[in-house]
Amino acid sequence: MVKKVFILLMIILTGLILWSFVPGYESRTALPEVSAHYVEKGPEELGAANIVTAVVVTYRGLDTLGEVTILFAASAVVGLLIHLNKNENKRRREGSEILRTGTALLFPLILLFGIYVFINGHLTPGGGFQGGAIIASAVVLQVLAYPNRKIGHGLLSVIESLSGFTYVLLGAAGVFLTVNGFLDNRILPLGEYGSLLSAGLIPVIYTLVGLKVGSELSSVVISLNGESEEEQL
Amino acid sequence: MVDPIYLIVIALATAFALGLFRKAPSLLPYGLTLAALAVMTVISGSWAYGILSGSLEGTDIFTAGFTPPVSINLYMGSLEAVLLLLVNLTALMTALVLRKEVKDTSVYMLMLLLVFVMGLNGVIMTRDLFNLFVFIEIVSIASAGLIALRSNLEQLGAGFKFVIAGALTSGFMLIGIIFTYYTTGSLNMDVIASQMSPALAATGYTGLFLIFIGMIMELKPFPVNGWGLDTYEASVPAVSALVAAGTTSAMFYAFLKTSYMSGGLFVQAAAVIGGMTFIGMNVLALQQDKSRRLLGYSSIAQIGLAVLAYALVALYRIENGEFIVFALILTHALAKALLFWLAGIVGKDSIHDWGVIKKKMILIAPFAVAVSALLGLPPFPSFFAKWDLVMGLAARGGMVWIILILSGSLLEAVYLMRWFGNAFKDSFNEEDTLDWRFGTVLPVFFNMTVLLALGYLSASQSSFSMGFNWILLGAVAVLMVLDFLPGIIKNLLLMGAIGYYGYGFVMAAESYRSVFAWIFALGALITLLPGFGVKGKRMGFYPSAALMFAGLIGLIEAVDFMGFFLSWEIMTLGSYFLILRGKDSKPHALSYMLFSLGGAYLLMTGFAMTYAGTGSIALGALVKAAIIPHSGIIFALLAVGFMTKMASAGLHIWLPGAHAEAETDVSPMVSGILLKAGVFGLLMTAISMGEQSIGPVSLPYVLSWVAVITALVANYMAAMQEDAKRLLAYSSIGQMGYALFGISLMSHLGWLSALVISIVHFIYKVTLFLAIGSVAKRTGTRNMYQMGGLITKMPFTFFSVLICIIALSGIPPLAGFSGKWIVYNAVLEKRWMLQGAVAGAAGIIAFLYLFRLIFAIFLGQLKDNHRKVKEAPFFLILPQALLLGLVMFFSFLPGSLLRPVGEILEEFTTAGALEWQGNMAISDYGYWNGVAVMWVFMALFAVFFLILTINGRRAQWIKQFNIVFAAERPARPETTHFSYNFFAPVRKALGFLEYPFTTNFWNRVSDFLHAVAGFCRRIYTGNGQTYLLQMVIFVVLSYMLTKGGF
Amino acid sequence: MTGTIALITGILLVLIGLWGILTNRDIIRMIVGFSLFDVGIHIIMLSIGYVAGGTAPIIENLSDIGKSYVDPVPQALVLTAIVIGLGITAFMLTYAVNMYEKKGTLEIDKFEELKW
Repeated sequence: MVKKVFILLMIILTGLILWSFVPGYESRTALPEVSAHYVEKGPEELGAANIVTAVVVTYRGLDTLGEVTILFAASAVVGLLIHLNKNENKRRREGSEILRTGTALLFPLILLFGIYVFINGHLTPGGGFQGGAIIASAVVLQVLAYPNRKIGHGLLSVIESLSGFTYVLLGAAGVFLTVNGFLDNRILPLGEYGSLLSAGLIPVIYTLVGLKVGSELSSVVISLNGESEEEQL
Repeated sequence: MVDPIYLIVIALATAFALGLFRKAPSLLPYGLTLAALAVMTVISGSWAYGILSGSLEGTDIFTAGFTPPVSINLYMGSLEAVLLLLVNLTALMTALVLRKEVKDTSVYMLMLLLVFVMGLNGVIMTRDLFNLFVFIEIVSIASAGLIALRSNLEQLGAGFKFVIAGALTSGFMLIGIIFTYYTTGSLNMDVIASQMSPALAATGYTGLFLIFIGMIMELKPFPVNGWGLDTYEASVPAVSALVAAGTTSAMFYAFLKTSYMSGGLFVQAAAVIGGMTFIGMNVLALQQDKSRRLLGYSSIAQIGLAVLAYALVALYRIENGEFIVFALILTHALAKALLFWLAGIVGKDSIHDWGVIKKKMILIAPFAVAVSALLGLPPFPSFFAKWDLVMGLAARGGMVWIILILSGSLLEAVYLMRWFGNAFKDSFNEEDTLDWRFGTVLPVFFNMTVLLALGYLSASQSSFSMGFNWILLGAVAVLMVLDFLPGIIKNLLLMGAIGYYGYGFVMAAESYRSVFAWIFALGALITLLPGFGVKGKRMGFYPSAALMFAGLIGLIEAVDFMGFFLSWEIMTLGSYFLILRGKDSKPHALSYMLFSLGGAYLLMTGFAMTYAGTGSIALGALVKAAIIPHSGIIFALLAVGFMTKMASAGLHIWLPGAHAEAETDVSPMVSGILLKAGVFGLLMTAISMGEQSIGPVSLPYVLSWVAVITALVANYMAAMQEDAKRLLAYSSIGQMGYALFGISLMSHLGWLSALVISIVHFIYKVTLFLAIGSVAKRTGTRNMYQMGGLITKMPFTFFSVLICIIALSGIPPLAGFSGKWIVYNAVLEKRWMLQGAVAGAAGIIAFLYLFRLIFAIFLGQLKDNHRKVKEAPFFLILPQALLLGLVMFFSFLPGSLLRPVGEILEEFTTAGALEWQGNMAISDYGYWNGVAVMWVFMALFAVFFLILTINGRRAQWIKQFNIVFAAERPARPETTHFSYNFFAPVRKALGFLEYPFTTNFWNRVSDFLHAVAGFCRRIYTGNGQTYLLQMVIFVVLSYMLTKGGF
Repeated sequence: MTGTIALITGILLVLIGLWGILTNRDIIRMIVGFSLFDVGIHIIMLSIGYVAGGTAPIIENLSDIGKSYVDPVPQALVLTAIVIGLGITAFMLTYAVNMYEKKGTLEIDKFEELKW
């Protein structure tokens, strides 16, 4: 009890630290210099309608590469731990009839939607991560419906590796083709503003990211379900 | 030049591609990983070389084809390049070590390793705040994966604590980053730094604080670092190596970047946290006996020191700050990685099981190098860094910090040296094996070589001129490399080197320095002679001896404090290794090292204060220091520092054990020669600074009492010993007491006596230790009650001891008398009658032990088991013979010694100097003609010898078993021996002198510190949730203390 | 005002998350606490980027340039932060699964093999 009161006190004090920021805060009325640059020059410079995507994939592309790497590392750790502790897993209860039928119906649709989301990342509020997560949710559905079905990592891992590898190479291509152009999307023509094939490399990268995130999250889910990796999909 | 962005590209591309090789034989992905790391090493190495050599300039790396702040940029400068090289090299080496793990972990481990390294590269290079956060997260996830490489319970527990602690830390940091973005409108560190102003710092305080505290917590500050310790302990050692060397260095640099960004807003807080960490971790480590956790404690302490150093450099505007901070960081990284790798080779966690390292004797060398480097001993970069830091602090009035840094370093020495001593001395189980593979051994020796090489480089970077002669250390290095040769050849080489160098050296030495130069050079040659009698390689002996003699020679040659102190430490280190070689010397070598280091730190402080007061680091500045404020304190610091080496009362407890347990030919080195270094230093101080006092207390007066008490108690203790070598050791303490007394008299005659005592003590103590050493060797015991009657078996040794004890006792006609005669003259002159009386009493007690020495060992009945004892081997007799010749020469012609030495001292003071008329020395109180005394003595000797010889005809021979025993054999047979507890009656009278005041005092100090450590380390409960709570408390308290409220 | 409400909500969520982390001994509940803590931070980030009257920075026609948009940078950052948080959560859960399998319990104070 005393401990909880003490913890409460500490949390209140932490709250006070964070609160000290609040009085000085008011919503901005104008953008900071750099953001203003993105909003005003971004469409012309990069040809992407979704400025957030432009920031994510190109202006702050290094962050995104790092972000992909984090997911990659997390899935590698998951893989490592599962690999080290191969357990006999218990038989689990199969999903209900409704779930199984629903899954069969929804699985391709969800996949399709995921792909749509990442391909259109430069035009609409979407992108590789969102699309990837949607794809993985399809896999979650599969796992829930058929918890005892063995799904191997083989194909997923190849997709993951190839998409990641290509992403890095495309990024590095910028260094070759332009000056200081690591992850520069302008090594491909920007195309017509607002169309699907525009904004240079952005849709390509987002496709790769989508594939990579989708396969990584899927393999995490599968690993957590406790499947062995030896069997092929 | 290759664009540094490829560092990231290569690591990532390889890591991603590894997934394709899941099914391939493990050699393929492993080879790819090694290749990637090697290429990264080459890229960073070429940048480091280019920038440091001036052919390249630091350069910005832009991304996305835009310039910052629109896009993220990286920077490659000299510091970045060096750190990248360090990180990538360490990773490459670690990958070599991890060869065995590849099979079990599929490609996952290699992926994580690459991602980890890529993250570290990013942390070092990035200039964007949020990007830094991303890279830190990469590092923390990848390392959390590597921690669980074996996935046992300990690793999982440690890994989970690590993850939640990291999540909390990065959460705070992320809030800080976004707040800072709000107030500054930018994420680019350079932009933010350029905008930084007091007003901005005030409005953006919370954000900046959260970034600061987040970065600090990444460095695992005391006391919120239990999770960090667990990580170090649980991980595979090779991973710990990478974390200790790579992560901490990179995170430290990131901390520096954010600290510059906020305009040094939290420098004071950093100083407090750094200092607290350095001291706290070093105290808590005292109770630790698990080697990997111990290394964890030490790692965190060292980073605390680096943070402290950075903060102090900023606060006190200390010059050469970059060198100081990075020398500390680099030394730590290299040494710590080495030690963790070594821990992997040894495979034992408890520090009591490390004896197995001796299965490959050569591993001792890297171990010694790493420990010395961590402790900041020369010639490693950390030594120069600490020196610069301490000097800078002294000049700017940061005395408190000096004390803190030096005491922390001393604490660190306690546990590191104890561990090293254990490894070197403990026995081991023959069945235990070492993980001795190319992949594990190469990294260890690689880092050792780099550390040694960096030492040389950093000497040139240090801001203080170097008065040290590197030729000497070069000789040590050569001997280290040639250590595979037979001992005799190495001995020849070393003697040749000392002989060749020593000639010019002795000739060049001036003033009283020449006296010590003679002792050191001649002593070295003579005490090395017995080495010819030792068969085999004698691994490690010659480099250590060379190290010690290099230090001794360096002392004489030093022209500034830096050179002097450096030589002092080198000498200490060499002698420590020598002493450690003795059979049961483990605890004694440790206490020797600790007292020596403590003394050395006092010296350092004294020198620093002198530098602060006079602005000069030339040794000559001591003369000027005589009239600056605090001169008394400087004198006291230096005096106590030097007295530690002379083993004056209160600081002596290391000596008896260390000198008695040392090898036969090491004892004379450390007793006959090494002690004179203390005399030299003290004499230098006394001559340079003159009489000093603190307040009303005259320091020489205090010294005089310490001196005579030392002489009295040490002589008494010598008389009470059963162990012949301990007896000699105590006798040395007593003799050094006389020398100290002579110095404290602060007059021509006093100093003359100190010099003369130094010379004659050198001669007869070397002889005695050789003689007694050979007796001990032949009989297999050092206990005098187990000897007796050896006169017939070892006649030369007997003769040698006889001459020496006459000389030592200070009675005419032999050389020892001259010293005493001068002392008493000086006492009369100074009117310190009381001290003189005590010294006289001590002299009388000295007769007791000297008598016992000859009586118990050589006279009386020969023991049965000693019937086949032979005379000492030739190479032990030869040096004795040479020295005896010297004794006789000085005894016949005392003027040949006293006159030149006296003339030397006339340079400083002539009052009371001796006058010479032929062979007659005339003082104000009397005269002494050594030659005449000798002739008279010889005549008397002849007369008595004749009488006794004639009477000897009537002597009755007693048969061997002419002694009646009682029926029973006593439980402790030695108690019936006449020579056991020889001076029982004296003991009844003076037994109180034996009460171990000093030993008890130091034991209590040690017990107290260990108890504190044992109590305080309970904060590391092992409960991850408690650790989180501690972290929250830490954040809250830090905020309150830095801001002074909310 | 909208921004301030979001900011305060975010701060409160952070504190609630902390409370959950510090008072629940069950590892899974602690992980839930961390998720809350993370979400709170994400909301704080979004509130920072809010511009009064601004719309989402998606510029469908080049002629729309110059209108008022919210700051795209925090949105980009929050995307990254979410993904990182996701990674860490997945990762903690994997640890939890393995710890449970090794020890048969999920109480954090049962994992005190290493201390002092």
